[in-house]
Amino acid sequence: MAAQAPTATQARARPRAGREPWFDWMVVPTLVVMAVVVGYPIVYTMVLSVEDYNLLDFSPANYIGTDNYARLFADPIFWQSLWNTAVYTFGSVGIAALIGLALALLTENLGGARFRAVRALLLTPWAVPFVVVAFLFRYMYMQNGGVINALLLSSGLADAPVPWLNSAALALPAVMAANIWAMAPFFFLLLSAALSAIPNEVIESARVDRAGTWGMVWHIKLPFLRNPLLISSLLMVISNFNDFAKIWAMTQGGPGYSTSTLVVYVYRLAFENFEFGYASAIGVIWLMMLMVFAWFYMRALRMERR
Amino acid sequence: MNPPAQPSSARRVSPGRVAQWVAIGFALFWSLAPIYWMLSTSFKTELEATRLVPTLWPEAPTVANYVGLAGTSLPFVAFFVNTVVSCLVTAVVCVVVATPAAYALSRARFRLAGTVGYSILAFRMLPMVVVLAPLYLLLLNARLLDSVTGLVVGFTTFGLPFAVWMMKSFIDAVPIEIEEAARVDGYPRWQILLKVVVPLVLPGILTTATFVFMEAWNNLIYPLTFITTMDRQTLPAALVLTFTGQFKTDWGGMMAAAVITTLPLMIAFFAVQRSMVRGLTSGAVAGA
Repeated sequence: MAAQAPTATQARARPRAGREPWFDWMVVPTLVVMAVVVGYPIVYTMVLSVEDYNLLDFSPANYIGTDNYARLFADPIFWQSLWNTAVYTFGSVGIAALIGLALALLTENLGGARFRAVRALLLTPWAVPFVVVAFLFRYMYMQNGGVINALLLSSGLADAPVPWLNSAALALPAVMAANIWAMAPFFFLLLSAALSAIPNEVIESARVDRAGTWGMVWHIKLPFLRNPLLISSLLMVISNFNDFAKIWAMTQGGPGYSTSTLVVYVYRLAFENFEFGYASAIGVIWLMMLMVFAWFYMRALRMERR
Repeated sequence: MNPPAQPSSARRVSPGRVAQWVAIGFALFWSLAPIYWMLSTSFKTELEATRLVPTLWPEAPTVANYVGLAGTSLPFVAFFVNTVVSCLVTAVVCVVVATPAAYALSRARFRLAGTVGYSILAFRMLPMVVVLAPLYLLLLNARLLDSVTGLVVGFTTFGLPFAVWMMKSFIDAVPIEIEEAARVDGYPRWQILLKVVVPLVLPGILTTATFVFMEAWNNLIYPLTFITTMDRQTLPAALVLTFTGQFKTDWGGMMAAAVITTLPLMIAFFAVQRSMVRGLTSGAVAGA
């Protein structure tokens, strides 16, 4: 093997771009499956979004042009759900990322078996299924007999039980807290790996320059964590946009519409009122917003890498 | 890897060290207390679980809640089997379909590689709800509603694009020189993939499969919409659907069901934790 290395390196020289084939059959299975389970549904969504399709209505769907979109812009629940989605997603991801960062810095110098044990324990919430997170917190948030209220009352921090999930003002933050609990380990994991990937020489030379703890974190470590932080928060933003399980199992979007996100609203429209047309219009608008978001994000990332 | 220039400070207790361990202790409490609460409640009687002043430790620990799960009118065993089967099949299908694509994208010897790669990434960013209604109609027309196959189709929408990108980051880490010997010997590419690359990225394959499995296990919206017969439901959806009836006041039973729902995921998670850390970070640290 070793003796062949030089020739192998020469053979590696890629054929020039002009001689490369356009396509590789190895990606075909993936593309076919994606076309059926994602491509076709997207096109279908766009068609549905200009029709008055209702699953319970046996008359054929009619083309109604932009009526669904006009309705959407005048729909206060749509706007509230959009706002809630933004607060839920960016609030949870932001706070979870900060907690993850703090934990990563906190455990950084443990090293060895001690670090692995602490890491395994801190990661545990991540392995709890979303629905279980939801019911567990719902139980702990209970107004009478919930452990959180019991602790608040017995320690004198509250005079009366707090109606965590039954108050329009507190429900969203309460659901977010459960979400953050489940998500912070992901950031902790990625960021502590990124910390350990910082070259030792960089840390050493900073130490020689007598950088203090905070200076070290701020000027040396954070710049190294920037890209991992951007990528992992993009992943989590996407998964939080989609998060249905935790919200639905905790509040079903209530009380009122105070915790209703776009997923919850679309689900209600499509599978409680069977208004597939209108639900699809919301889907299309949402898709566009997410694309714009992803575009800016990718740009930020690419600029950072240069 | 090793903390640079840390003289063995195990015996010297500095105030900074104490503060650090206090903070770590607090973090451990925050992470583990809810899980302890779930376990502890699952061994309490129905009455004790809803007491106004909760007990930290079950007064009269009982496994009645777990035994009760098997004894209810609800087919918990069926829920469990449905979930395991649909998630496992999804994981296997996604990894098998994704690996050749990931290999092709990683070696990128074709001109449309960039376009294909980015469109798969775009699918990954797709909000699930956008495809919910049309996917429902698709499965309705294909007579796949209310079946494990339908669930697998649903889970694949998010599992496959994820698997392609994760597998690509694993295959990227395999130096191309290793394949050269086989190439010189004239082996076709699919054999190089199967006999040289796949054995090398086996931990990565396992990690990717576990991830897809976990995501499918977490999914609630597809089983809730695509499955209409109770016997065919998955555990997470069954918890939601039965909550209002079966477990209205029976939090002990609810937490026992929650523990059962959590266990397989936790086992899978800790089984591959090591290689998962490597897999996730090789992609994210290198800049995906």
